[in-house]
Amino acid sequence: MGSSDGKVVAVIMAGGPTKGTRFRPLSLNIPKPLFPLAGQPMVHHPISACKRIPNLAQIYLVGFYEEREFTLYVSSISTELRVPVRYLKEDKPRGSAGGLYNFRDLIMEDNPSHIFLLNCDVCCSFPLPEMLEAHKRYGGMGTILVSKVSAESASQFGELVADPVTNELLHYTEKPETFVSDRINCGVYVFTPDIFTAIQGVSSQRKDRANLRRLSSFEALQSATRNPPSGFVRLDQDILTPFAGKKQLYTYETMDFWEQIKTPGMSLKCSALYLAQFRFTSPNLLASGDGTKNATIIGDVYIHPSAKVHPSAKIGPNVSISANARIGAGVRLISCIILDGVEIMENSVVVHAILGWKSSIGKWSRVQAEGDYNAKLGITILGEAVAVEDEVVVTNSIVLPNKTLNVSVQDEILL
Amino acid sequence: MKALILVGGFGTRLRPLTLSVPKPLVEFANKPMILHQIEALKAVGVTEVVLAINYQPEVMLNFLKEFETKLGITITCSQETEPLGTAGPLALARDKLIDKSGEPFFVLNSDVISEYPFKEMIEFHKAYGGEASIMVTKVDEPSKYGVVVMEESTGQVDKFVEKPKLFVGNKINAGIYLLNPSVLDRIELRPTSIEKEVFPKIAAEKKLYAMVLPGFWMDIGQPRDYVTGLRLYLDSLRKKASTKLAAGSHIVGNVLVHETAKIGEGCLIGPDVAIGPGCVVESGVRLSRCTVMRGVRIKKHACISSSIVGWHSTIGQWARVENMTILGEDVHVCDEIYSNGGVVLPHKEIKSSILKPEIVM
Repeated sequence: MGSSDGKVVAVIMAGGPTKGTRFRPLSLNIPKPLFPLAGQPMVHHPISACKRIPNLAQIYLVGFYEEREFTLYVSSISTELRVPVRYLKEDKPRGSAGGLYNFRDLIMEDNPSHIFLLNCDVCCSFPLPEMLEAHKRYGGMGTILVSKVSAESASQFGELVADPVTNELLHYTEKPETFVSDRINCGVYVFTPDIFTAIQGVSSQRKDRANLRRLSSFEALQSATRNPPSGFVRLDQDILTPFAGKKQLYTYETMDFWEQIKTPGMSLKCSALYLAQFRFTSPNLLASGDGTKNATIIGDVYIHPSAKVHPSAKIGPNVSISANARIGAGVRLISCIILDGVEIMENSVVVHAILGWKSSIGKWSRVQAEGDYNAKLGITILGEAVAVEDEVVVTNSIVLPNKTLNVSVQDEILL
Repeated sequence: MKALILVGGFGTRLRPLTLSVPKPLVEFANKPMILHQIEALKAVGVTEVVLAINYQPEVMLNFLKEFETKLGITITCSQETEPLGTAGPLALARDKLIDKSGEPFFVLNSDVISEYPFKEMIEFHKAYGGEASIMVTKVDEPSKYGVVVMEESTGQVDKFVEKPKLFVGNKINAGIYLLNPSVLDRIELRPTSIEKEVFPKIAAEKKLYAMVLPGFWMDIGQPRDYVTGLRLYLDSLRKKASTKLAAGSHIVGNVLVHETAKIGEGCLIGPDVAIGPGCVVESGVRLSRCTVMRGVRIKKHACISSSIVGWHSTIGQWARVENMTILGEDVHVCDEIYSNGGVVLPHKEIKSSILKPEIVM
């Protein structure tokens, strides 16, 4: 069904600055999609995955951020990957499906036969060409990427049930209170243009019901969140749940890693996952060294070409060092993200931390955390331009930008 | 006459408020902090004010344009490219501070509020004939600050002791100076501390005099002192028999209500409350010892004490907000929620109670 040579358009949902406050304090300085994982902005990973889709015509990045925040990035990535990428700013919240519908004219300009929808803050191997092939075989309106997770964590996501033979989506519930299934929605979808008709259907149905509702004042007392405005269409509750079991939606399971990057702690975990993936897909991006001419490297490490690392330093595993950082003699870095322009002086130790742009770490100081990616203070985070003086220890803490620490702190948030 | 106001850095102690607005523009008693000082300077004939800043000059410059015309005073910025401490900025702004008149110039720390007795200070400086005059104020806990050890009878300053462990005196540096232009010759353009490097030299030459500040004094650079400072400021307004203070059966003690704010029935407001422009206080609300910034809506039956509510936030019905709760811009506290000392960053919704002081990012 559909021409096998049809063009493909990919839409990546980027979110916005007042949404997702869980990514603070890093999101105080940079839009989350541009935060680097394994040396590349977060959104770079799904964008490069899209490049592997045959007949990809256009990538749209859709978000609530101001256009100027993405202008530079979008133009440089378009040039680098030689595929047109364009940022579209949403003017008001319309829900995940409503947002897609809002830009349908632009999306359909290239007359695509298939449309990918991806969430920017998903970390996975993005098996997009394989997903597209499977979708064409199933012949439905949409195919959802799914993954198996632990039963305990499943309730944080959309749980679904699929037919083991036909892979049809039989049942879908968003964040259920009781256990439904350990298969969850990964936030990556491929649709045929019929999706727009489906979204429009939901939207007009809601408008009709709203008109009926105005007749009853009792109904008017119900909270607004249960009855969103007519233009507001959520993909999960309004499309996936009602269309499940109607031979319209199918599933494609990924056996690779899958995570959501909602908090800074998770960005450290996902940076490590992408670094591990580089070892197979682009090993030339990873650093190597044995302490003679270059620093000793353990495990997966990314070092930007402009960063300077003293040969007596020992780096890794799971370390990512951004542009113009300076790592001094005898420094030990384990499981951390070192952002642009950071200076780390001699003999310091950094473990389980994210060091913000232009921060400086004094001699013999120690920036550390227990390394629990999900705990509020499980990873130590230093905001932009934080200065840690010599011999100071910072443990399990979050420090907002432009602070100077001249005494040790533990288990604290410093505004 | 000229003046320099040391605005300095990022105002991190006043976060989360300063995440939305640079510190000098954060309102205190319904007026940007820095405007209190600029107005007082204009009143004694200062014609040019230089703001020594190192952060967000664009936001500051817009504000300045607006107030230059309104007040009829020249306001310029002197921007540090690296932090220059408390004296370095004077050297940076040298050309703006010296003119042929040879008159002394004021230097103020931007976090300080007081009655700004600048006229008395000019007379003091003339009478004692020192090279530099500084204001000092008496405090209960001098070791939190820099103590000025002085000869009480002559007003001459002996030395400065930073955060002394033993009692050496109870007068501290109030952050208000009147300096002869010759002081600028003593300051190099590098990070320099006026208390540690410049003043001690002048004191050794017996040319530094200290005047005890009449009236109240507060460093409102952090939330707890901001709240205390409001009490002192409103108290001082009351003493001047100001018509600015609100009156009525629903008002207790000193309360400032902006003319565009609306207050409902059955409320009890005060003491020590400031309500900003465009605020809506619905019926049955109790407010005490708090600041409510521009555009805030406080819903029915809510109760707020000893807290600061940031611009355009909302407080839900029957919510109780107390004990140094600081809400940043656009924070929405749901109905019936309790906040005990919550410090909440901008653009958040508080859906569950905060039982003990904590930061909500």
